[in-house]
Amino acid sequence: MVLEATMICIDNSEWMRNGDYAPSRFEAQAEAVNLICGAKTQSNPENTVGILTMAGKGVRVLVTPTSDLGKILACMHGLEIGGEMNLASGIQVAQLALKHRQNKKQQQRIIVFCGSPIKHEKKLIEMIGKKLKKNSVALDIINFGEQDDGKIEKLEALLAAVNNNDTSHIVHVPTGSSALSDVLINTPIFTGDGEGGSGFAAAAAAAAAGGLSGFDFGVDPNLDPELALALRVSMEEERARQEAAAKKAAEEAAKQEKGEGQPSGTQDAMMTERANAATSEVDNKDDENALLQQALAMSMDDPDSGHETQDTDMSDAAADDPELALALQLSVQDGTKDSSSQSDMSKLLADQSFVSSILASLPGVDPNDPSVKNLLDSIQSQTGASGSNISSQQKNEEKEPKEDEK
Amino acid sequence: MSGDSASAIQRSQVDLVDFIDWSGVECLNQSTSHSLPNALKQGYREDDGLNLESDADEQLLIYIPFTQVIKLHSLLVKGPEEEGPKTVKLYSNKENMGFGNVNDFPPSDTAVLSPDDIKGKPIVLKYVKFQNVRSLTIFIEDNHSGSDITKVQKIALFGTTVETTDMKGLKKIEDH
Repeated sequence: MVLEATMICIDNSEWMRNGDYAPSRFEAQAEAVNLICGAKTQSNPENTVGILTMAGKGVRVLVTPTSDLGKILACMHGLEIGGEMNLASGIQVAQLALKHRQNKKQQQRIIVFCGSPIKHEKKLIEMIGKKLKKNSVALDIINFGEQDDGKIEKLEALLAAVNNNDTSHIVHVPTGSSALSDVLINTPIFTGDGEGGSGFAAAAAAAAAGGLSGFDFGVDPNLDPELALALRVSMEEERARQEAAAKKAAEEAAKQEKGEGQPSGTQDAMMTERANAATSEVDNKDDENALLQQALAMSMDDPDSGHETQDTDMSDAAADDPELALALQLSVQDGTKDSSSQSDMSKLLADQSFVSSILASLPGVDPNDPSVKNLLDSIQSQTGASGSNISSQQKNEEKEPKEDEK
Repeated sequence: MSGDSASAIQRSQVDLVDFIDWSGVECLNQSTSHSLPNALKQGYREDDGLNLESDADEQLLIYIPFTQVIKLHSLLVKGPEEEGPKTVKLYSNKENMGFGNVNDFPPSDTAVLSPDDIKGKPIVLKYVKFQNVRSLTIFIEDNHSGSDITKVQKIALFGTTVETTDMKGLKKIEDH
């Protein structure tokens, strides 16, 4: 946001006909000039920019420093290529034009495009640099196009003579695929001296980089935050859905085996039964419900997940079935009471008729199914063992809340 | 002469450092590490180790605006024997001068400092030329040794103020 008056010195010599910068050196230069003018006027509305040509018949000021961008761009039309560049005169005329700027508070800056060989002596160039420094004029040099021996040396000497506290810069643009303006955008010439970049430069850089400039989904979050957010959220939802579907497929296989084989305790058995029931329900209901059941089954299946989770699932399940609700309630109560009540529970479960009535009410479970019968037998035989199982489980679960409290 | 100037200082002239408008002070061709406050500001200028030095060549152009209109009586410049300033030109009320146009108009006064003056002796100026000074431009053209760097240890200005309104002191009249 430095208040600045800038004079841009354009090289319109015969060397600019060359096409090593697409489409031609001169046009690449013109585009860079347009970008610089835009950047300068945007970074501070009071900035002024002027343009002069160094070759042709002689140094000619096309437009004196003005903040009118239209006028600047208009004068770029109809420029002719010809003659030889006169660097020394060009810089001196630029200095004079800056001296007569209207707003004396503006910092003075000259930007020189140097695309042809320099015919002056190094000493002369250095003296010009010193004079610029003495009058506190900053200088930016853009070296492109013809590279003859000594040109770089002369330009570096010029920069060293002018440079005061790093306000002046030099940029070497080699021939290549990227355009002249693209290379310049990232230089301090555009971004200003360590200001952190003007918004114009940043936006231009984003546009110039084209397409997927490293942002997700090809959308710049700066330009369109809502769209970027919406895209991201839908990606995540899709991913979650796919994961759930994958899990469901894996779970089905695991459930079938587990439900029949393991007598892991009465409560667990009940949970497993429910899980089985849920699993078989999956086939009947639509996908969303199935996924929900699947989540419930998974949480119930995990004995370490804690009593609380099981409680939630049980309450969900109990909504449909009063008998089941009763059983579940008992089991919940058991979780908070001491082991003496566990014996009640186990007695209850030992009552096979009660258990079978419960099982009968479970949809999709046939009490006459041999696998279920086997399970019930194993439960009863293990009633004594399961009592201790329950109490040990209880202790685990009591330990967990205590650990949580800590 | 010297007795006169010394007594003149004591009599009615004050050190004008208090009336300098620091926001507008500028110096062309100064070196960044050795800048104008070293020579001008109270405290810094007493320290002989802190100098104002020139950068690209030996010339210096100093622009000093004042907060009030003043009458300038005398000038004091202190510097080392070798690199201290020799020819000093003063321009009153000329803004935004550059090295290019210092020779475009005649200075209000010119002082050629002798090695004696450079030790810190005040130099009386043409008082009539400096009756109504809002800003002062000091152009140091060369130094004693002819080297590329001019060093200045102290610059002091002496004079009186003209009774002008200090705008900051104006208070808004309360409406009843």
